[in-house]
This record gives sequence, structure tokens and C-alpha cells, in this order.
Amino acid sequence: MNSLLSEIKATFKDNDDFFLMPQNIQGIDIVLMGLTSLIDLPKSIEALEDKFERNSTKKEILMRLNNNGEKKKNIAEISSSVIEGNLLVLVKSKANVVALKPIGKSLSRAVESSENEQVLQGPLVAFTEEVDISIGILRKQLPTANLLVKNYTMGRDINRKLSLLYCEGKASPKLIRAIMDKLDMSQDKEINNIQDLIKVLGLRSRSVVAPFKITELPEEAAQSLLKGKVALFLDNFPFALVLPGVIWDLFILENDRNFTYPLMLAIRLLRMVAIIVSLIVPGLYVALVAVNPEVLQIELALSIAQSREGVPYPAFVEMLFMLIIMEFIIEGSIRLPKSIGPTITMVGGIIIGQAVVEAKLVSNILIIFLAAATIANSTVIGFQNAAFIRLFKYIILILAAIYGVLGVLAGIFLIGAHLASIQVFGISYLSNNLKKEGEKNG
Amino acid sequence: MIIRKGSFICCLLILLSGCWDNKDINHRLMPVVLGITGEGDQYKAYLQVPRPESDEMGSQVIIEEGHTINQIVNKISVNMESSIDLLHIKVIIVDKELAEKGLSDLITGFMRSRDISSKALIAVSESNLDDLFSKISHYKAPEGSILLDYFEKNAGWEPQIALTRIWQVYRSIHSYTRDVAIPLVGMGDTTFLNHTGSAVIKNGKMVGRISSDETLLYNAFSGHSTNGKIEVLDDASVMILGNQLMTKNKFENDKPYLTTNISFKVMILETKNNPSAEKIKKELDKLLMGRLEGLLEKSQKNKADIFGMGQYFRKEIPRDKLKNWRSNYYLALKLDLNVEVDIQNAGNLKIPSK
Repeated sequence: MNSLLSEIKATFKDNDDFFLMPQNIQGIDIVLMGLTSLIDLPKSIEALEDKFERNSTKKEILMRLNNNGEKKKNIAEISSSVIEGNLLVLVKSKANVVALKPIGKSLSRAVESSENEQVLQGPLVAFTEEVDISIGILRKQLPTANLLVKNYTMGRDINRKLSLLYCEGKASPKLIRAIMDKLDMSQDKEINNIQDLIKVLGLRSRSVVAPFKITELPEEAAQSLLKGKVALFLDNFPFALVLPGVIWDLFILENDRNFTYPLMLAIRLLRMVAIIVSLIVPGLYVALVAVNPEVLQIELALSIAQSREGVPYPAFVEMLFMLIIMEFIIEGSIRLPKSIGPTITMVGGIIIGQAVVEAKLVSNILIIFLAAATIANSTVIGFQNAAFIRLFKYIILILAAIYGVLGVLAGIFLIGAHLASIQVFGISYLSNNLKKEGEKNG
Repeated sequence: MIIRKGSFICCLLILLSGCWDNKDINHRLMPVVLGITGEGDQYKAYLQVPRPESDEMGSQVIIEEGHTINQIVNKISVNMESSIDLLHIKVIIVDKELAEKGLSDLITGFMRSRDISSKALIAVSESNLDDLFSKISHYKAPEGSILLDYFEKNAGWEPQIALTRIWQVYRSIHSYTRDVAIPLVGMGDTTFLNHTGSAVIKNGKMVGRISSDETLLYNAFSGHSTNGKIEVLDDASVMILGNQLMTKNKFENDKPYLTTNISFKVMILETKNNPSAEKIKKELDKLLMGRLEGLLEKSQKNKADIFGMGQYFRKEIPRDKLKNWRSNYYLALKLDLNVEVDIQNAGNLKIPSK
């Protein structure tokens, strides 16, 4: 018995938040073990005493203890149980260890409204870091017996919970089978981030386009499940990863359906136009100014020529310069704490708005094009989607600088070809009818 | 492997593109009007270039002589601080003498070299181009040239001005069955330009002229809208609201017959002595009919088929005989012309119907 105790002591000797606390309940000598960082000790002891201190005999207490907890035999089991945050009770006379669920410290945040995605007239609740709570939120959003949950614990050394959710009868069985096979196959692989998950699922890790739709809104996830998609929850990642991602995730928000039908269509159309604008406008400017000015109407050509009078750089450099400053501003305003965030907006506004034009570094028509592209980019749904659109516009920009309007067309073609080449579990990124494709390829 | 392939393609993309020759818009000279006159066996070209000045649009006229237009442009390019980009030329003005001598070489050159957009309009000037271009820079317009607005359909164009582009002239040079009319302009006294009618161009040469009233009918025949033209009659003046053309053709005994119905929708603007609607109709009918018949007679005399009536018979006449269209068949053409006038609108007042 003492050997077990000393073995435990040796395992945790470098952990100062590990405690060993000898106690005596109703004449039974026990030792409580656990991590103070995870267990609210005074409350847990109180609860324990409440449970056992009512005229019970020794035998009864021991029986109850065994019924309430799990018996742990060897040191590996014990140590992983401690790490999970259980309270371990070692009964000296019996020399066995029982793991109990203690009252834990509150380490996760409460259910709050969404931070990353703004909702207009729709449910505000967002998923949290705790997988169980997130699943609960989703169950509340989708109260049906068809919603099935499959839990995995991934990783050998670092254990991470992963849950797979789908709607029976909606999602194609082939797709679910394929995902489950992948997850079963790599149970011992550690998943610390989304890139690891992409690798585990066997998706293309070099692709710019995210293979999932990442959302923190239960409504989006729930409607996606009803459409036959599959949601993955990763422990400590407060988002649902909806598989497979399709191009419509860029334009379509399920919350749109809470508006009237014509309004919904108009909003979605607006987003599509915005994506095209944010993709091609910088390239188009360079193409029209530097390579194919004959396409412009003479009035426009003259006024652009007038605004570019005295600008030292070629249009491509001018555009690239301003786009990169714009990227700095966007990236900078993400990094900065909220209290000094407005500073960067103000400074950026001064640079973009006035100073750069007055200093004759760029033409003022470029500023209009740049602003249009940047604003349009922010209408794209999902930050990762907006980011890949932001990246793709440079391809078009470079091609436009070389080949003009033809280059813009070639760039759109290239991007279209890349999007068409993406497949997530056999379902094309450009697929329109998920159900049919899922059945066929899955 | 993919990376190697990708970088190879990127290298090709950059090395083979020649993108370092691209010139930004502010380093290009964009003339909008080109004037051409013949000087001996040389051409003399006038280029009007809009120049952005601090607040408004100024303009500059560059004059150069040479054997070909390309030589002239090259000469100007050497002397100018920016390169010349002829693609923005919207109007080409040709001297009347040059037009009578023949435009074929000039037009063919434009079509071949692609320096000038084939959509550019062409006009013939009756006044000396020196005078015209010295006057042009006094008239300021936002587009850099007043001439542009004159022919622009959404600006100063009127239905009695012919709108003919250089590709149409090129087509007429090589077509057996179609000729074109191009606007004739002269310097005005109080206005900048004075529209004097249209020049009939046959095989690239000016062979005759038609008046601006006749040009209206030419435009109606070629499908342009005649919207807004005001016709003055003895008893009234009317505005044309629209026109429609219907033709039927028949080829018998080696003779072409054409039945044409032109219907005009008109609005009454002013009347004298309270005429009836019937009378106005009749009068307008007579006027337009007389004018059309006169115009046809004139063009038959010139052997220039500006209406493109030969187009209707292309499938009836074999190709080897078709080249005689202008000299044989066109002269023998029997035209049955009907003009229909519909008074659609009498303004805010009623008119007696009888």
C-alpha cells in the first residue's frame, strides 16, 4: 500500500499543485489526492463529509465510495485520472484508489453571445470552449432524436476530446463512414490545432481554402446539419467545424432566412457582387491604367490621367503599396487591445484618406478603388474565407499588371480552376446539391 | 516537383510577357481628334490632344507632315515627351479634296495597323483644316474636344447627321452592294461647326453630296432613330417620334423590285390656320415621299447605293454578276415606296380630324 502511495508521490513530486491530504472519516483512514488547480478542495471535502457522516457503518461507507467512483489500479490510470481533475481517495486499510468527481474550479467561461460573428436579428448564443456545453447548445437549437453524437479522445500523450455530430437520415452515410474511419485510424495522433485536424482527416493541407465552414453560431451549425453536413467540435476550440465546406459558405448565412425572401435574395446577391468587386477591382485598376487604357471612356481616361499627374510609381507598385498598408491596418487592428484599437483606425484613415494623396505618392482615384475593394471584402462570411479572397486578389493584380484586362480574366479562371479542384471527402467545393453528391461520392 | 513546375511557369510568365513596356495612362498622349489633309503626295495630320490643366481641360493641336500616317505619328512621338496612343481617337476629319481624291489607302491603313479603333467616326470638312484646328482649342469641353460631343449620340448628335464609322467605310470599299454617307461639316459663323449635309462615298471616294434633310431619310433607312427631328410643313410643324422600316424584295426577269414601307410616328407642335389632322398627314406624306424619291434618283445618278438596297438581292444575283450591281441593276431598280404617317400625339390640344 505504501508502495503505491510513494509511487504516486514520486510521479507528482515536481508538481507543486498536487496535494496529498490524510483524512479520517468515521474512523476510516483515507488519503485525498488531486490537483489544487483543478479542484475546489474545501467544498469537495465538505461534500464528501456530508455524504458519509450520517451514522453510517464503515462497511456502508466503503461500499458507497466504491459505488460513487471508479476503481483505479495501476499508476498510469491514477496519474491520468489526476490530470483529468478527479479527486482520488486512497483507503489505507483496503489499499485501493477510488476516483471521484469533485467540485471543480470554474475554469471555463459562461455561455456568451458571439464575438467573432455579428448576428442581426437571430439567436445570439455562441459555442464555448467546453465541448459538452457546445453540444448542449446545439441540441437545444436542434431538438431532435436524429441528432447523433460520437465522441473521440484523440492523442496518446495529450488527450483532446473531439466530437462528431450529424443528423441521421440527412447526412450521407458514406460521408460519415469516411470521417469516422479517418478518426478511428488516427486515434493516437495529437490534435492541437486545425491544421492537425486537417491532416488527421486526410484533407489537402496546402490548400488556401479552408475545407470547413468555421462558425460559432449554433443556428448556422444546426441548419448545416439539417442540410446533410457534419459538425466537428474540438475541445477548447469554441467553434463548430462544419464539413464539407462549399463555396456557398461565402455568400449564404442561414440567418438570412430570418428575413423576408426577397430581402434574403438581395443580401446574398450583394455579397456575391462584393466578392467579385474585392477580387478584381485592384487588378482592374492596374489593367486599365497601365495596360489597356483604350477600354476606358475618354472622359474617365482623362480624369484618371489627370489624377495620376506627378505620381512617381507605376500603377502596379502604387496599388501594391497601398494594398499592403491596408493589410497592415487590418492585421494591426486585430492584434491591438480594444482600448487602443481606434488609434490605428484613425492613423490608417489619415494615411489612406488624405496624406498619401497630398504627398503625390498615389492618385486619389486609386483610393476609391482601394476603399471599394476593402469594404467589399468585409462582406464575405467567415474570416478565413475573407482572408483567402484577400490573398487571391494579389494573383489577379499581378496577372493584370502583366496582361491587362486579359490577365484579370486569366486570374479569375485560375481561381475558378483552383476552387473546382478542391474536394472534401469526394464532395466538390463548388457542389450545388450536397445530398446528391454525398450519395454518389461521399 | 510541383514547386519546381510552378516556379518555372512563374519565370516564363514574367520573362515572356514584356510587361515592362506598359506605359501608365499619364505617360500616354491620348489624341481624340485626327484631322488629315493631303499636301502634294504627302499627308498632313492634325492631332488634337486634351491636356489636363489645373482646373479644366485644355487642349493642344499637334501638326506634322509625312508620307504615311504612321510616319507622322512616329515623328510626333519622337518630339513629344509622352508616347502617342491613337486608340482613343474618336473622330477623324478628312479634307474634302482628299475625300474626293480617295480615302481607300488611308482607311485600309487604319484597319490594318489597328492603331486606331475601327469604331472611330469619320467626317469630311469643307473648310480648311488649318482654320478648323486653330479654332478648335478655343472651345473647351470636358472630354477635351467639342468635336466629340458633336457626334456623340448621348450629347449633341441629331438625326440629320450621318454616323459612319471607319469600319463601315472600309466595308463599303470592298462591298459590291453598299455605299455610305459621311457627315460634311464646315466652320460655322457663330457656332463652332456648321453641318452642311453628307458626302456620298463610293469605293472610298466622295462622289456626291446630299442635304441634311436627305441624311435624315438615309438614317431612317439604315435603322438609326430619327427621334426628335422637326419637320416644317406649310400648315404645321411636327416632331418625329419614331420610325419603322419594312421592305419586301422580288427579283424577276433580271430586274430588282423593292417594296418599302416607312412609317413615321409624329407629334404636332405648331399649326397655322387650324388644319385638320388629315391634311397634315397628307402634307407630310408628300414631303417625305418627294424627298425620298429625289434622294434615290440622285444616288442612282451617282451610282452609289447608300441605302444598301443591293443587300436585299445578294442571294438572288450570282456573285460574278453582283459586281455590276451599281452599274446595271441599281439603275434598273424599281422602288415602290410607301410613306405612312401616324399622328400619335397632338400635344395638349385637340385638332380637328377632318
